[in-house]
Parts: sequence; structure tokens; C-alpha cells
Amino acid sequence: MAEHEAKQIASKLESLKGPQLQQAPQLLARAKLALLHLNALVPSEETHKNHLQLATVILEQGALISIRLKDTESFTRYYQQLQPFYAIEGSHWQRPRAQSNQSKITGLYLLLLLSVGDYAGFHTVLEGLEMSAGRETMEKNPFLQYPVRLEQALMEGSYDKVWGETKGERVPSEEFAVFSEVLINTIRSEIASCSERAYPSLPISNAKNLLFLDSEGAVVQFANARGWVAREGRIYFPQQEEEALAAERDVMSASGMVISNTLGYARKLETIV
Amino acid sequence: MADKMDVDAVNGEKSQETVGPAPDLPAERIITNNFHLINQAVQAFDARFTLRALRNISTIRKAPNFPEAIAIAIRTAFPKPTNNARRVLETMLPEQYKNVQNGETGDGLKDPDIVEVAEVWAYLGVLVQVYLYDTKQYKKGAQFSDNFVEKVRSFNRRTMDSIGAKAYFYYALFHENLDPKPPSKQSPAIAIRPTLLAALRSAVLRKDAETQSAVTVLLLRNYISTADITQADLLVAQTHFPASAANNQVCRYLYYLGRIRAIQLAYTQAHAHLESATRKSPTTGPAAGFYQQATKLLIVVELLMGDIPTRTLFRQPALEAALYPYFKLVQAVRVGDLDAYLKCVSANEAQFRQDGTYTLTLRLRQNVIKTGVRMLSLSYSRISLRDICTRLNISSEESAEYITAKAIRDGVIEASLDHQQGHLVTTPAKDAYSTTEPSEAFHMRIEALLGMRDECVMAMRYPMNKHRQEIAEAAKARERERELAKEIIEGEGDEEGDEGQFEGM
Repeated sequence: MAEHEAKQIASKLESLKGPQLQQAPQLLARAKLALLHLNALVPSEETHKNHLQLATVILEQGALISIRLKDTESFTRYYQQLQPFYAIEGSHWQRPRAQSNQSKITGLYLLLLLSVGDYAGFHTVLEGLEMSAGRETMEKNPFLQYPVRLEQALMEGSYDKVWGETKGERVPSEEFAVFSEVLINTIRSEIASCSERAYPSLPISNAKNLLFLDSEGAVVQFANARGWVAREGRIYFPQQEEEALAAERDVMSASGMVISNTLGYARKLETIV
Repeated sequence: MADKMDVDAVNGEKSQETVGPAPDLPAERIITNNFHLINQAVQAFDARFTLRALRNISTIRKAPNFPEAIAIAIRTAFPKPTNNARRVLETMLPEQYKNVQNGETGDGLKDPDIVEVAEVWAYLGVLVQVYLYDTKQYKKGAQFSDNFVEKVRSFNRRTMDSIGAKAYFYYALFHENLDPKPPSKQSPAIAIRPTLLAALRSAVLRKDAETQSAVTVLLLRNYISTADITQADLLVAQTHFPASAANNQVCRYLYYLGRIRAIQLAYTQAHAHLESATRKSPTTGPAAGFYQQATKLLIVVELLMGDIPTRTLFRQPALEAALYPYFKLVQAVRVGDLDAYLKCVSANEAQFRQDGTYTLTLRLRQNVIKTGVRMLSLSYSRISLRDICTRLNISSEESAEYITAKAIRDGVIEASLDHQQGHLVTTPAKDAYSTTEPSEAFHMRIEALLGMRDECVMAMRYPMNKHRQEIAEAAKARERERELAKEIIEGEGDEEGDEGQFEGM
């Protein structure tokens, strides 16, 4: 009975589109209850093969829907819940289309980590993937390659590549597009902070190209938000950071530290001699 | 990432190659001699005798009659054939040795000193494990070890600690070699985690530093082999590694810790850990394998931090052959040549994967580019972005602009960009000595050395009861001094003032 209900909900979830997404959370809640009745929410030795499959499908749908609803927290939760299912060896039970969903969801999770800037977490998950999946799967799989390429480009600093990737055609599927906006904002602030240090000043039209903004008005807005001065069609970046750094390094002002260090040496030497 | 580290290498105990008499004795003699040592250890409650007994495991396991020797030793230790303990051990040995008559070494039989002590049984158990491992009987060994460690844990005797630590080591090793091997998620190695965790708990409760350190290291190895880095990280955060652990375990612990930190992008910490690991590890003999692995990881982490390892590192005789692919890698990164880097990585992929450094070397791509940019900014006071593109093999001028801007922000180069003309203009370098940089560098090195000195002082070992004797002798010496002083004051003899024999300082 609970199995039947779960199967029903699973098929309904798969066919949900656009405006009906709002109903999804309640459906998912009912589905999870049904899974609990079947003891399938957490996989264990006794769980029946079909239940495992059902549970995986439901949780995956839940993950994808939360992405569409832009609910990152619930997506992370679904991802964690899916982990034990993925750890079960594939030969135990057949997973027809789920193979592609697994890499899709893993790719989405990696993208999420990138967009919040959690590079350590990103690499940890990547490490685990290399271990279990091996290189060939990694290379051929577009869902996984997308975040890897993005991370490479981000680290290098070639933001135009990132920009290119987030544009229409290169994105593997629509869920990835949800992240594009967040990513673009991230790189925009990155470019902005780089430009502050690198350029003495910039004409506004060039700034528009650099920052991937659409109009000069947007540039001025952005500049004001970051505290830059916009004058005569050019943007001037604040210079005081340089002087502050230079002052820190000045020997005279660091005399306090030098004194305390030397006193420490004297104390230690006395214990030795 | 399964470190196929040579077992003998990880064994770590310095093999006594230069000790004279030991190799001449037949294996049975050595084992029975060790019984004496173990008994002494139990009576004097001094762990060093057990350590000595364990030390020559590496010599006797190479003896051709090893299983025979074990059988004879079992018979000597437990003369009654119906003894349960003896039966458990004997079932593990091949058939023909079970009925060996030890007529030749008859004099060993009558030795009254060989008491049936539990530690002796544990020691023989470890020998059996070693034998099973050497003959690759992993399944049998795994089963035997399961029961063995359970028994050892139930004993709760402090004198058995070092032997117990070895037992856990082989226990973990057997399970690691069962199919499917890690990094598969189905590996039986995962199944032993609860046992190891329980062992860790009891070790901490009983203040058993040896088992605690050994089991922590085994757990870390387990987690890392299946790439469960978060779990390994949590373990490190929640447990405390005993400060009194043996040097070998400390080295291993630091290596695994360095590995975890390297994956989590905390390169400075990883570097510190790995450097201590390479410094503390023995560099010759069976431990050379560990030293090589640790150095390989150290090199990659140094590259990731942006420093170039010195060439002398590669010249050491023990490392030269093993480090060759890394040498090529360092050369490519040093020059900033992206082509050479990619070629080197693809050519040596298999080797890197085996060492578990493949994913780390992939991260080096941005380092190559950064180094390239730095080289260019050092050599040119003004260079156009187009030239940068061609030199560094970057795909487009825009990318070059962004990359250089990022490099400037990260502090890799001191320069500014001229957008109108598309040039990178280097600012002349400031005089470093007018800043506090040199004194900071000196400070770090001084701190490191002072720390090392403190560690050495704390690690100095004094025999346990000696200090009481010292006090007694000091008291006696003071008495003598007082009498002498009295005599000198009373009489005018020209005796030499005997200052007494003060020990130590």
C-alpha cells in the first residue's frame, strides 16, 4: 500500500512542470513518509531491491525540484540522504536511467560548493569521485566536467571563460542554469577586486566590457556600490590600501614586535645556557 | 589512493643489521630468547624489553624455517598439547609443522624460566599473523586476527600494549588486502572501522598510549584509502594524539594529517606536518619507502604553495630514482611552461595515481600560469598582453588580462595594467631589507629551532627508578662532604676534597 502510494507520487513528481512546482514540497513530504513505512528512507541490508530504486528516484526528484525552487538547504539535505544509496554497488540492483541522474546531482552539488566559494569542500568531493568513478567516467560525463572546467577557469582567473560557460549552449541542463546567475555575481565581484588593485583608472566603456554589465548606468551603479569614484567618464579606484600596507611594513612602527621577539629570545637563551 | 607502501617499509622499526650475534642464531633460539625478554618486561614493568623482543621480528620472518620455528616455540611455551591457547595458534600453521618433534632443541624444553605468561601467547600470536601475511593467506589471517584482537583487548594488561598495537596493525593490514580492495566502497576495510573505534576508546580509557597512537593511525589510513576525507578530518578534530607515542607512529600520523590538509587546500599546515614527518622519519633501511612517499607529497605541496623545492632534495641517493617524475614536474612549474607541465602530467599519470598525488598535481595548472606571469613581470618592465598570450599559451587576450589582474590582486606580482594600450607595467621592486620581512623570516626559523630544542629536552628518557637512587647517592655524597669539611676544619691534612660522584648534570 505504501509502496503503491510512493510509486504514484514518484511518477507525478517526474511530470511536474513550471507553476506546479509549488505543490512539490507537500508531495515530497508524503513520499518520504511512504518511504519510511517501507523502511527505505535509509538503506540497510533488509531493504528490498525495488524499494531502494524507488527511494533513489524519489530523493533525486526531490533534489532536482529544490534546485528549481532555489532552495539550497533542502538540496544539500537531499544530496546527503542520497549518499548511502550511491555507495551501494550498482550490481546489487539495476538503476536504468538513474545513472545519469546521479552524475547530474553530483555535478549540481559541486556547482553549489563553487558558488559559495567552498573550495575545500569542492576538492574533497572531487577526490571521492576520482576514487570511486575513475578517470574515464569523469572525462566523458558532461555534468561532472562542467563544474571541473569552471573551477579551473576560476582558479586561473580567466573569467571570460567562466562567462562563456554560463551562457546558453554550454550549460548541460536547465538546473545548471539556475546557478549561472550566482556565478556571474561571484565573478563580477572577483573582477572588481582584481581591477581595484591592477588598474590606476578605467574608462567607463571598458569597465562595462570587463564587468560584463549591460549599460554604462549599471557600471556607475556598481561603482558607487563598491565605493569607487566615477568622474569624467572614468572610474578611479581608491589608492589608500597601498599606503596602509606600506606603513605596516615600516620598521619603525613595528618596533614593538621586534622588542617582544628579542625579549623572548633572551629568555629562551637563558634556559639553554 | 591505496598507498601500496611496502609493508616492510612501514614497519618502521630500525632493523638491527649491524648487530653481531643475532643473525647467527636459528630462528627458534631467537624466539625463545625473546620469551626471557618478555618475562623480564612483565616483572620489571618496563616496556623497553618488549620493544626489543618485537624488534627482531623483521629478521626472523625472513628465516626459511619460520613456520617451523613458530611451531617449536609454541611447544616450548605451552608444553601441554591440550592447552587451549596453544591449539588456537597451531590451527593457523600448515599441517606438517603441527607434529614436529623438537628433539634437537631439547634443552630449551627444560628451561624453567619460561612461564606461561599471557604476553608470550600474544607475542606468538603476532608471529603467526606475520607468517600468514607473508604467505598471503589474507582470508585466514583476517579471521584469525578478528578473534585475536578481541582476546587481546579483553586482557587489559599494560605490559601487553606494544604487542597489542602490532596485533591491530596486522589486523588492519589483512582486511585491507581482502577483495574488493579500497577505494571501493564495499571494501571489508570499512567493516573494521567500528572495531578500531572501539579499540581507540578502550585505549584512551586505559591510558594506553601505544595502542591509542597505533589505532588512530590505522583509522586515518582506513578513511583516506576510501577517500572519506571529512570523516578523517572529524577524527583528527575530536581525538588527541598522545604526545608520548613512538616516533614511528608520530611520523605516520603527521603524514596522514598532511595528506588530509593538502586535499582541503590548507597547504601551509600540510607543509608543516609533512616537513616534520620527513625530518623525523628514518631514511635508510626498510623505512626508505615511507621517506620517499612523504617526500613526494611534500614536493607537491611545496609546489602548490608556490615555492620551488631545492635541487639538493632530489640528489639524495635514496630518493633519486623514485623522485624522477617529480623532478620533471618541478622543472616545468619552475619555468612556467604549460606545455611541458601537461606533457609531464600525462606521461607520469600512472605513477602519480599510485602515489595518490594525481589530483594534487592537476591543481598545479594555475601555479604554472602564475609562475609564468611572474617570470614575465620580472623580466619585462612593460609587456603587451598579446605577447603574454603567446608566451604563456593562453587562448585569448581577454583571458590574459583577467589572469594578470588576478595575479596582481593575489600579490604574485607587483604591477599595474594599462588598459588603453593593453600593457602590463611592472613597478620597480622595493628594497626588502627596509621592511620587517627579514626579521620575520628569522623569527620563524628561531621559533622552529627553539621548539625543536624544547621537544628534545622533554623527550629525554631517564630510567624509572634511577632518580630514587640518585637522590640516595646525592644524600650520601652530601654526608661525605660534610664529614670532610669537618675534618678539614679540624685538621690540616691535605686530603683532596672528594666532591662525591654526582650523577648526570
